Amino acid sequence: MVQITFVQPDGSRTTIDANEGASVMEAAVSNGIDGIFAECGGAMMCATCHCYVDDDWRDKTGERADGEEIMLECAAAELRETSRLSCQIRLTGALDGLVVHLPDEQA
Amino acid sequence: MAVAPVDETLTLAELTRDPYPIYKRMRAETPIVQVPAANRIFLTKAKHTKMVKDDPELYSSDDPVTPMRRAFLAHTLMRKDGEEHRRERMAMQPAFSPKVIKTDWADLYRKIAAEYLDRLPRGETVDLFTGLCGPVAARILAHILGLDEVSDADMQRWSQVLIDGAGNFGFADEPFARSDAANAEMDAVFDSLIPRHMAEPNNSAFSVMLNAKDPIPRSQIYANIKIAIGGGINEPRDALATIIYGLLTNPDQLEEVKRQEAWADAFEEGVRWVAPIQASSRRATRDLQIDGIDIPEGVTLMTIQASANRDEDLYEDGEAFNVFRKKAPHQAFGSGPHHCAGAHISRRTVGEIMLPMLFERFPGIKLDRPEDVVWSGFGFRGPLNLPVKLT
Ligand code: HEM
Ligand code: HEM
Ligand code: FES
Repeated sequence: MVQITFVQPDGSRTTIDANEGASVMEAAVSNGIDGIFAECGGAMMCATCHCYVDDDWRDKTGERADGEEIMLECAAAELRETSRLSCQIRLTGALDGLVVHLPDEQA
Repeated sequence: MAVAPVDETLTLAELTRDPYPIYKRMRAETPIVQVPAANRIFLTKAKHTKMVKDDPELYSSDDPVTPMRRAFLAHTLMRKDGEEHRRERMAMQPAFSPKVIKTDWADLYRKIAAEYLDRLPRGETVDLFTGLCGPVAARILAHILGLDEVSDADMQRWSQVLIDGAGNFGFADEPFARSDAANAEMDAVFDSLIPRHMAEPNNSAFSVMLNAKDPIPRSQIYANIKIAIGGGINEPRDALATIIYGLLTNPDQLEEVKRQEAWADAFEEGVRWVAPIQASSRRATRDLQIDGIDIPEGVTLMTIQASANRDEDLYEDGEAFNVFRKKAPHQAFGSGPHHCAGAHISRRTVGEIMLPMLFERFPGIKLDRPEDVVWSGFGFRGPLNLPVKLT
């Protein structure tokens, strides 16, 4: 298990335990985190799972996936350097403690 | 190991009239059921419809015998899988993004909406379905696609002809003769618009696809635009009519929606309550099982989002229109790789623009005889008329 903390736009934080191998999106959805809609179920087709990776974790979460960029352009909220589609971040042991910030809108 | 139960007596006519009591019974008694009248296995539970749509390797959208191919004279992205699907889809997706809508289109949509609202007569009964929902959906789509020059009437006619052809499961000649004629008209119009979009690149879908660094073939650009014409008018039209009906028949909710400006919630509830596209087909690519029931290779599954959207596992009292219900994800826009390309657009145009403008313009709008509204449809569903009095 690895821990992930989700930070809402108002600053409130929720920490959950998630299985390695799951995506950050899947972990959020199965724990009922507000602000991750994930309407396409991880197919990289909806951009409603947009999140901002905390600066301290950017190296560990790695590069955007092939094709992720163009879908991120379609996200509702502002696009930043740290923007990722949470369905494209796979959880590994190295991501234990990961912090991601949620945008103010998804759809 | 078990073969799915068979519903021998159910007819398409019954499903077209009112599928909801039937789906409710199926969810309770036979959630996975063969329906010979449709030659398909119906999936009625949210967890099953989502699982199937999210897994294109086991459940393909590629239907080798679809009448759609004949109607569109092309194999379109809706019926493709994998990389080929992604490439064609991403070629136009940027034109449908919320940012482009905000920066490029929102003002224009407000202007269009105001114009169409201005035309509506006050104090007498008007059919909003034909007077507003259809034409405004057509006009907005024409701009998004880069077909500004095309009339509302042509947009709506092409859309209906394509839909009739794509739904021509009996392969009768006449609908294809009409779709062939419409394809010729559309191709000629598209050809004539290319110079403008090349000379003045813009954020319309046509221009974005033509001016891409590594464009998809011209034939697929045309096919994509046609899919958007076929799929981008009736659904927002039906969604708008459904939501207006829901609000007018629940005046308490309407008042509360106005007070809280909860138009986005009204939109989501309307498309959950009566999904404009009620079902989508997928083909099993090998012998499979769902919840212990055999799904033989090659069989066509009907994933019924209309039913999933009222599933008791997710919704309390899902048969009712209730804008303020506890939020739960719906599948009105599908799921997985074929998740609706126009979801963001529809939310903005119908939810953020049309609904508030209509109710602001006509605060006394009334549906005197809700029982006169005729609902119809199995593949696609919505009211066929919406006679209201505007004041
Ligand atoms: C409220 C309005 C709408 C609803 C409820 C809706 C619903 C859907 C659904 C359920 C699908 C998935 C079909 C499947 O799984 O096989 C779909 C696909 C699609 N929709 Fe929509 N739609 C709406 C509006 C629009 C608009 C305005 C456009 C065009 C701009 C559009 C373009 C598309 C396209 C291109 C696809 C095919 C995507 C693909 O196969 O990758 N839709 N829509
Ligand atoms: C075997 C019986 C039939 C089944 C199971 C069936 C099912 C469906 C479904 C699920 C759709 C939704 C869109 C999709 O997934 O592509 C659809 C589309 C459609 N169907 Fe049917 N249908 C049947 C027969 C008919 C008949 C007899 C007609 C009319 C004469 C018809 C008219 C349409 C139309 C107009 C569409 C829209 C096509 C599109 O744009 O996708 N269908 N059908
Ligand atoms: S879940 Fe749709 S893009 Fe990530």
